[in-house]
Amino acid sequence: MKPEAQALKGHLDVLLLATLADGPRHGYAVKEALREGSGGRFDLPTGTVYPALHRLEAAGLISGAWSVADGRRRRSYRLTPAGQRKLVADRANWREFASAITTMLEGSPWPATT
Amino acid sequence: MAGHDLIDGYLATFARRLPADAVDELADGLTETYRRHLATGVDERAAAAGAVAEFGTPDVVIAAFVRQAPGRRVARLLLCWGPAVGLCWGTALVLGHWPVPLAVRLGVGLSLLTVIALLVVAATGLHSYRRTRLAAAAGLGVVGLDGALLVAVALTAPPFTWPLALAVPASLTRLALTARAIPRLLAHS
Repeated sequence: MKPEAQALKGHLDVLLLATLADGPRHGYAVKEALREGSGGRFDLPTGTVYPALHRLEAAGLISGAWSVADGRRRRSYRLTPAGQRKLVADRANWREFASAITTMLEGSPWPATT
Repeated sequence: MAGHDLIDGYLATFARRLPADAVDELADGLTETYRRHLATGVDERAAAAGAVAEFGTPDVVIAAFVRQAPGRRVARLLLCWGPAVGLCWGTALVLGHWPVPLAVRLGVGLSLLTVIALLVVAATGLHSYRRTRLAAAAGLGVVGLDGALLVAVALTAPPFTWPLALAVPASLTRLALTARAIPRLLAHS
């Protein structure tokens, strides 16, 4: 696994939710959206994306439905209302967090102390 | 399945070790991956090898499925909860001086050990999804044991003690939650 993929572990759930923000996708499309959306940095082993989707489904954040495509069974996922709320909340939290880190790293001067 | 022996063999590994729905989902994704590799102009063997490599080794994929298996989660919850409930019942039995026949003690003790062993097996290990399925059998055992203890209390009406006052609602809650989880565990079997 690439170092970037290792680093994203703690954020994988919200990133998977984000890939479904524009509508339903099947597992492989979710993985591709993650890879393309990150410019190739987040390139997980494809087989591990499916269990993560199952975990989100068990948590009620996404729902899955079977269909048939090219003669194969295909499961597609969409955000549930709870998943949409979590995505909105996590986006807001991330913006605050990223803003604080950026401020720290890119350096506004430290306030003077007496 | 996907059209190449390498991919069919890879999927056969999962078919032996994962639920059928999971295998169908993996087969769909693997076929898409294979076609994407083919579209880059490589030959079929290179496309199949590339798709399999992109999916991850069977052990990595199976471990990811095992980690999120409902049976593993339920088994871990029951193992965490068990000592507290067991302590309440044990203390209640000692303080209440219940006249429990030796055969009943042995039967309950052996059943309890069996349930614990099943839960430990279901909750540990990352290489076998089949192990997590034992949580359903263990759950049935938990329901049976809790039910038997509650029926015994109802029939014998032992004297009130605080451990008993804690043990009864704890067992009722565990029984209800476990009974609710069992159909889901069986559905993943």
